[in-house]
This record gives sequence, structure tokens and C-alpha cells, in this order.
Amino acid sequence: MLDKKKIRLMTRTAIYEKKYGEQDIKISGFYKKDYASFHTWVTLIWITAGYLLAAGLFCLCCIDSLLEDLTLFKLIILAAIAVGAYLILLIVYGIGSGRYYRKRHSGAKRRVKKYYRALAKIEKLY
Amino acid sequence: MSTLLVWREKLQRLYANYSIYFNKGLQLILGLLVFGLINYNVGFMETAASIYFTVGLAVICTFFPLTVMVIAATILLLVHFYTLSLSVAIVALVIFLAMYIFYFRFGTGKAWLVLVAALAFGLRIPFVLPVVFGLMGTAVWIVPAACGIVSYYMISCVKASATALSSSDSDMISGLTAFAKQVLTNQEMWIMIMIAALGILVVHLISTLAVSHAWKIASAAGAAVCVIAVSAGNIALNLHISYVITILSAVLGVAAGIVLEFLFFSVDYSGTEHIQFEDDEYYYYVTAVPKVDVSIPEKQVKHITGHQTEEQVTEREKEGSGSSETGSPAEEKASDFAMTSDIDIAKNTEEILLTRSLSKELGLDDNKNPHE
Repeated sequence: MLDKKKIRLMTRTAIYEKKYGEQDIKISGFYKKDYASFHTWVTLIWITAGYLLAAGLFCLCCIDSLLEDLTLFKLIILAAIAVGAYLILLIVYGIGSGRYYRKRHSGAKRRVKKYYRALAKIEKLY
Repeated sequence: MSTLLVWREKLQRLYANYSIYFNKGLQLILGLLVFGLINYNVGFMETAASIYFTVGLAVICTFFPLTVMVIAATILLLVHFYTLSLSVAIVALVIFLAMYIFYFRFGTGKAWLVLVAALAFGLRIPFVLPVVFGLMGTAVWIVPAACGIVSYYMISCVKASATALSSSDSDMISGLTAFAKQVLTNQEMWIMIMIAALGILVVHLISTLAVSHAWKIASAAGAAVCVIAVSAGNIALNLHISYVITILSAVLGVAAGIVLEFLFFSVDYSGTEHIQFEDDEYYYYVTAVPKVDVSIPEKQVKHITGHQTEEQVTEREKEGSGSSETGSPAEEKASDFAMTSDIDIAKNTEEILLTRSLSKELGLDDNKNPHE
């Protein structure tokens, strides 16, 4: 005789395993703070690389106007603008990615908890 | 209207039953359109631009997640650009990398929106995009829309000045500078990004307001904002964005909005309830709009002919005998005649079979038919 409750539970857990399972278990293996800070650092490194690329592209695009009448004062101002933009970008992405990864960790942890509870229920049914 | 709603319900059921085929079919169509448009516009490498390659790539991408299609489209573009000029490929790679770093690391699942955005521009229906994105998504969808628009204008830049770009390969730096300038100082591109962002914001904001017919108003307002902004851009910056395409795509955008409302936000505004109540901390002003829910009429199938089970036959016979008690004398005669003829036939067949088997056993067949 088919046990509807068991089928429902097993289907739910199988769907979870297929959709999020592997990634969630991996994420929930870390402490929230460790996970969020590690990924925030990785993001900041990527952002640095991305900023360099974008700045390079911008310089390439406006090289004529940048080099026109170049003085030391203009160079310092340009450098200050570049550093300022970089810092703003770092702060924005640092805060944003920190929140994002903390939220992601909480979600994964919650789902994994649910998943283990469902597994325990299935075990009891046998 | 009720017929349409019934059709919607049927469509929903059909989709629920065969969602995997629907999704894969749509993915295949998206792949064919995207790769087809890339190869049609910038198909500089002949092998990659062939119809077999386009179809093959689309079919392969159908069996993978949509992110793979985005990566495949990016690689295909880079290959074509590389065939044209190395400097073009480098600039395009840098732009794609920047897109990946600043957005796709966080929104990998929504990367396919870039393809949809670029496709809308490629199919000359740019203002369907803000309406659809604003209704179906959030304000964050501005980012993939912008990425799609940049990709489209990069392709159109390369297409427009392919000859000049291919000849600039001798001087790498000048080639890089020229193409980067061409892409990043394209006023039409920036105007379009701003219009799309504005349109998405307007549509999204209005569609989430607690007013009747919010989605219809949002679609119309979004389309109107886009048309006005394009006109303003054309006048102020002396651009040449086609008014025909603008108006047609805006109308199509409104139509798309109405279709989306019908499919995803079907409510009955005539039954709106305005409720006001309070607790210790707050006053509540609630507007409740009922959803339109139509149940599909069940079809009752009557079996006139076909196989009958023994139970059905006995039931019929019982009914027949019951009806013969109450039926007319003519019907009774007819049914009696039919029954007796059936019995006679059965008896005759039994007799024939018996005589045959007996004659076989006794060897009488040979005597009776000597010619056989």
C-alpha cells in the first residue's frame, strides 16, 4: 500500500536535493561570519579587477582629453578622483555583498534544517 | 471574457502537465533567435555563422541551464569579433568581464535577461522591454536590461563600421581606442539605457500601487514615458531614433502588458472591498481585490459504441428487461424477435461445429468430398 505522507516527504526532499541541496550543505558547513567575510573579500578583489578594467577602458576612450594640457595638479586631481571612485565602489560593494552573503547563508541554513527534519521524519516512517 | 478565462485555465493546466517541454521549447526558440541574430549581424567567421552551427548550438544549449546560453552567446560574439579584429575582441571582452564582475556574480540566475533585453532591441521592439521587465520584475532588472542594451549597441557598432575596424588591426592601440570610443561615447546607447531604466521604474512603481487597473495604467504610462523620452532625446541631442519603431514598439509594449495582466494578474475590480479597522498600535486601510477564478466545465463523455464489459452488458440486459415491462408491444416484439434470432444462430453454430468435429473423427469428410 502506498504511503502518501512518505511519498510527499520524499518528493519534497528530492526536489530540495536537486535544486539547492549540494550548495546549501556546502554553505551551511561554514559559520555565517566566516562565510560572509570570505566572500566579501573575494568580491572586493573582483571589484578591484573590474574597476581596473573599467578605468582602463575609460582611459583608452578619453586618452586624448586626459593627456591634453597635463600638469602635475591635473594629474593629482585625476588620481584623487580615481581613488575616490574606487573607494566608493569598494564601500558600496563591501556593504552590499556582506548583506547578500549573510542572507544567503541564513537561507541555506534554514533550508538545510528543514531538510534534515524531513529526513528524520522519513527515517521514522521506516 | 469568460471564454478567454477558461482558455487561460486550460493553458495553465496544459503548462502544468507539460512544463518541461514548454520550457525547453521556449529555450530552443530563444537560442535560435539569439544565435541567429548574432550570426546574421556579425557573422564574420563563416563556419560559426552557418545555419547548421546556429541550430546545433541552440539545440545543445536547450539541454543546459540558461546561463550556459549566455556564456555561449558571449563566446560566439567574441569569436566573430576576433575574426574581424583583435582590438575589437579585446574591448568586447573587457566590457563583458566588467558586466560579469559587477552584476552576474550576484545574479547568475537572471543572466538570461540580458539575452532577452538584447533580443528586444535586435527585433526592433525596444519599448516592450521596460513594460515587461517593470511588470514581471523589480527595479534591479534595470541592470540586466542595461547590459543587454550595451551588448546590442556593441554589435550594431561593429556591424556599422566593420570595414573600418578590420583595417585598424595594423595599429593595435589606435584600434582599441577607436572601438572603445565608438562604443562608450554612443549617445543613442546611453539615452536608450536611461529610457529603459526610467520606463522600468515607472512601470514597476505604478503596477505596485493600490489603484484599480494598476497594470494597465502602468503599461500605458511606461510606454508613454518611453515615447516622450525618445522624442526629447531626438530633439535635444539631435539623434535619429526612428519614431515609427518607437511608437510601434510602445503600442506593442502596451499590448504585451495587457496580455501579461490577463495571464498573471487577473482580478475582478468590480468586487473590490475597502476595509478599515484598527488595533492598539495602528489604523488599517485595506483594499482587497478578488481574483478572477473560472473553473473549466467538465466534459461528460457518453459511450454510444465501443467495447462493453460483462457488467455493462448485464446492466443493459437488466435495463432491457425492465424497459420491456414498460415498453410498447411493438418494441417488445422487436426485442423478442432479436433475442430468438440470436439464440437460433447460436444453436446453429453449435450444431455445425459438432457435426464437423464428428465427421473429422469418423473420417466422413473424405467420403463426402472426394475431390478435396
